[in-house]
Order: sequence, then C-alpha cells, then structure tokens
Amino acid sequence: MDGRVGLRASRRAAPTPRVAVRSSPRQRARVREQEPVVSAMSGSGLGKENKAGSSTPLRHRPNAFSELDNATPRVMLVEWKCSKVELQLPDLVPEDASVTTFRMTRKRKKLSISEFERAADKRLPQNQAHSTLDSTLVRSLRMSVGSVMAPDTVEKRGLLRRPQNHKAIDIAAFEGGVEQNMLQIKAQDYLVDLQTSSMTGTTTIRTDAEVVLNNTELFVEPQLGEQNLLAVEPQLSDSKTSAQRSNTSYPAHEKARLEGLVSRVSTDERRTLRFSEKDLITDHEHVDGITQKTPAKEGEDEQDHSQQNDPMEQFSESEEMAGTTEHHADAEYSEHSEKKLSRKAVSQLTAAQDAGVEMEMTPSEGGVAEGTEHQDSPKAELQMAGSPGGHSPASYSLKKSGAKPLKEAVEQTGEIERGTITGVLDAAEEEATDDESDIEDHESEEISMKTPMFVHAAAYRPHPVLSPPHPVKSASPELPPQPVRAKPVPKSSGAAQRKTREPEIASSLIKQIFSHYVKTPVTRDAYKIVEKCSERYFKQISSDLEAYSQHAGRKTVEMADVELLMRRQGLVTDKMPLHVLVERHLPLEYRKLLIPIAVSGNKVIPCK
Amino acid sequence: GRRTVPRGTLRKIIKKHKPHLRLAANTDLLVHLSFLLFLHRLAEEARTNAFENKSKIIKPEHTIAAAKVILKKSRG
Repeated sequence: MDGRVGLRASRRAAPTPRVAVRSSPRQRARVREQEPVVSAMSGSGLGKENKAGSSTPLRHRPNAFSELDNATPRVMLVEWKCSKVELQLPDLVPEDASVTTFRMTRKRKKLSISEFERAADKRLPQNQAHSTLDSTLVRSLRMSVGSVMAPDTVEKRGLLRRPQNHKAIDIAAFEGGVEQNMLQIKAQDYLVDLQTSSMTGTTTIRTDAEVVLNNTELFVEPQLGEQNLLAVEPQLSDSKTSAQRSNTSYPAHEKARLEGLVSRVSTDERRTLRFSEKDLITDHEHVDGITQKTPAKEGEDEQDHSQQNDPMEQFSESEEMAGTTEHHADAEYSEHSEKKLSRKAVSQLTAAQDAGVEMEMTPSEGGVAEGTEHQDSPKAELQMAGSPGGHSPASYSLKKSGAKPLKEAVEQTGEIERGTITGVLDAAEEEATDDESDIEDHESEEISMKTPMFVHAAAYRPHPVLSPPHPVKSASPELPPQPVRAKPVPKSSGAAQRKTREPEIASSLIKQIFSHYVKTPVTRDAYKIVEKCSERYFKQISSDLEAYSQHAGRKTVEMADVELLMRRQGLVTDKMPLHVLVERHLPLEYRKLLIPIAVSGNKVIPCK
Repeated sequence: GRRTVPRGTLRKIIKKHKPHLRLAANTDLLVHLSFLLFLHRLAEEARTNAFENKSKIIKPEHTIAAAKVILKKSRG
C-alpha cells in the first residue's frame, strides 16, 4: 500500500520537471499547461501517459519515453517505482483539486434552520396577537381544544412550531378536556395510589382531585380554595407529618404545594387537571418523596423558618417531590409545551420550576419562602410548579415511578393546555421557544418579584423575564405545569427517540437493491444479514475515506478519494473506468451530475 | 424502478462514524455507487453459494459466507 500510495502521491504531486512520467487523468489539467511537453507525450499515443514536465525530464528518462508507446500507466508506474531512487519524489502535494469543496450541505442545514425559525417567528406574531386577554385565551382555548391532537401529532406540531397555539385558554374547554384526561389518569393513578397508604385517601379525592388540584391554584382563585382545602387536608395529613398539617392552617399554601407538585405534571387544564394530577403527584410524592425528604426538611425548615416559611417548606418539599415526578413530566411536557395554549401558564410554571430549582440548589427555602410570602395563588402555584421543576432535576430519580403515571395522565389530559406549561417545562428542560418565553416572561415577572431565587432559577432557563401575568392566566399556568409535566415525559421520550434514532439506510432500499441483483428469492433473515453487512461496509469505507483524505492532507473527502477507494476495491480498473460504472448503476439524474457532458457553446455540464 | 438515492442518510451515516470528516459535493453519489457495487458483489457471491448448496433460495448462511469474503475484498 505504501508503494501504491507513494505512486499515487507522486501522481497527485504537482508536476515538476523532476517527475518524469506520472500521469493521471487529474493531472491532465495541469499537464495541459505544459502543452508542448504534453503534446510531445501525447504523441506517444497514450493520453494517460501525459507527462507533466518540461522536456528535461524527457531527456533524463529516455527509457521512459521509449516505453511511452507501449507503456501503460501501470507499466509506467512500475518503471517509476524502480526509478524512484533516481527521481526526487515530489512531496505530497495535495492536488489543486479543481473540485472545490462544497459546503452546500452545511449551508443547507443552516438555511433549513433559519427557515424554520422564520416560520416560527411568523406564527408567533400571529399567535401573540391572539393571546393577550382572557377572552383571547378563551378563544384560543377553544381553538386549541378543537385541534387537540394525539400525542403523535403533537410531537409533529412541536417540530412545526410550539407557538402555534398561542391562544387564550378556554377554561370550560380545558376542564372538559381535563376531565377526559383525568379519567385516563385516574386509571393510572389508582395503580399508584394503591401503593401508597395515603393514596387511599387521595384516590377518593382524585375525583375531587381535579377539583382539588385545581384548588392548588386556588391561590389564584379563591373559589377553588375550598375544594383544595378538602383535597389538601386529607392529602396532607396522610402524606405529611404534622408539619404539613400545620400547613393546613394555610390551606392556600398547602394547595400551592400540592399544586406545585402536581402543577408540574398537569398543566392541561388550568386547574382541574393540575389539581387532579397534583393530587396524584403529591400523593405519590408526598408519600414517597416527602417521607424521604420531608422529615429532614421539615425539621430544618420549620426550625429555620417562621410559619410563613412552613408552607414554603412544605412547598419546597412537595416541590422536590413534585420535581422528581414533574421532572419526568417536564421532559414530556417540554415536547407538548410547544403546542401549548397558555404560554403564561407555562412561563409561570417555568418560573415556579426555576424557583424549584432554586430550592433544590439551596436547601434554604428562602426562595420558596419568598414565593409563599407573596402568596398570591398564582405565584404560589408558580413557585410550586417552579420548585418542583427545579427539584425534579435533582430528585428526578426519586419519584420516577410516581411521576410516570402522572405524567402520562398529564399528557393525556391537556395537550393544549400543556402546550403552555410544557413549553415552560421544555424551556427548563431544553427547549425554549419564543412563545414559551413570552408566556414565561409574563409569569416569571410575577414570580421573580416574589422570589429572587426563582429568578435565578429562571436564569437557568433561557426564558426572558416575563411580564406579570394576569390572574387568570396565572391560574392557568399552575394547572398546565402539572399536566404538562406528565405529558412531556412520554413525549420527550417519543420525540427523543425520534431524534436519537441512528441513521440507517432504509431496509426497504437494501431489499430492493439486493433482490434486484440476486434475482432469486431471498429469506428474510438473509436480508438482515445484508443490512448488517451494509452497516459494517459503511463503517469500513468511512475510515478508508478518512485515511485517503488525510493522506492527501485534506479534511474533506473528494471525488478522487472515493474513486481511489473503488480502485482499491477492485471495482475501478484500467479496463473499467469509473464513468462506465456510473453509467451502468446510477440513475440518469445522478449520472448527469457525475459525468461532465460537453454541450455546444463551449460548455461542460456540470461545470467544473 | 429504483428509488432516489438516500443522499442525506448516507451523509448522516458517514457523519456518525466520522464526525470530523467532510464530504465534497457529489461524493455521496460515488459512495452510493460503491455501495451498490458492494451489494452487487454480495448478491453474486451469495447466489453462488446458494447454487453450490443446490438451493434456489438465498439463505442466511449463504449470505454470511459471502459477506466474509466480500467485506474483506472491499477493504481499502
């Protein structure tokens, strides 16, 4: 190989006077510069034998010339090899390849991305126009509800554009959708609930959970507060220690906590979904996570913080719990968030998540306390949502099992609603679409005001600061986070699967080609073998091509490298030039690209 | 008829194996050509193996034996 490579190198080397006889089709271009010499060479009758160089080399190597007439490239190379010592082997000079490196693919990619963004931006203004007021939310909700899609379609939409559903959320529509989802979630929840003792109580509450969950947002809307109280209290008593119960005195707080826990998961419906899911989540979380963390935390929290902080602590705890579960949901929601309806909700959630993250980061519930201090229902909820989100990454592993059912439920519940929340989650997770950021900005502002920590947490996320959300919207965000959390979990996995799938040649194409060549029936297992061989083949040639281009001092694989590969494979020989193979095996449109055709007007297609 | 060449997929595959390696304009077409010829050789070899086994159907064992030979031949 070295020899051959050397030969090749010499071939590629810029023709120098010293290089007596080295001809390659590629060098013909250079050779042409030395017409006189070339013509003399060509006179020998061998086009391939063109010798780049002045006449001196010819003189130096009369023997070579004599052989020109009969010499074939191979013979010449052999001669050359022998005379290597005499000749000064030219340094490997990368051919001034006439072929310029194309970066089209790169550009194409960039273009596609930019186009995508442009399209997204277009939609944003459209959506933004709609979502400004509650009424618009309602309208948007209706629209979004109408266009509720299956998780699969949601994923696709996500690709298209998250901000698509920049519509106001119709509470009624949400609730309706949430209820439907709740049914599904309940089925899942029940399984989870059964596991935890507290679940029994919560299960019963489930039916009311939605209400209760919604209650978590009660902070925002006092009406639901009552419901929350009912749901919260039983849940609290079951899952939490006295610390929690003390919180019962602060039903709002508790609800917030629960909401925070659940909100992350259920963000679909403003309240119902969230609450229901929150309950589920909180229940699970409370039982599992809380027991794990709360005992330690509660003691610390209670001691350190005043009563006001207690709710915060609980929130933080619950948040942590919820965080774990929500974390899962977040991932999935992130997928959904794109479609979200209420960005604000999402943003709020994200803010809450951020807060949650803060919580995680800093055990001190300062941030949380701050959030609770403000204790606006939306804010608290947001915090809840945020903190769980924050915690979730940290305590992800904690409640995976618990979170999963919730997440699933959440996903089901409100794709629309989730859109907003998941959007927030996504931002936290990975994606931060403009739409989400808009919503989040609104919500984050509120939250940031209350909890600097949350703001910090938000810093993690790419969301910009949001303007203070409306109270209604704040409520919605609380809900969406929970359902959103649940949803993103499966969605992210689904979307992630899609993204992480390895590139493979389509098996159908392989079957088609192989069966065409073999002309006899082939078993299915044999096709599998062929596929595996193909993968191995591509691996081989990619390293070969890399070696060839490196040898030529290039970082890009050129046509010459691939031709060299085929030559070494024995596909291209002296008797079988490359173009003949191209003509035989490739479709016409590609032949045109590869084989330059001379047309009238002194044109060559494709132009070089 | 044959379908279009999966140029994007080819580029992705090579990128997967050698992320730092770049491909010039139509090199992926030539790579596909080499792949076609590889499958062609594989098919011929597998068919020969099957005939030698007096089987009219290509079985996995025929393919495996053929793959060993052809993969070795297709090394650069």
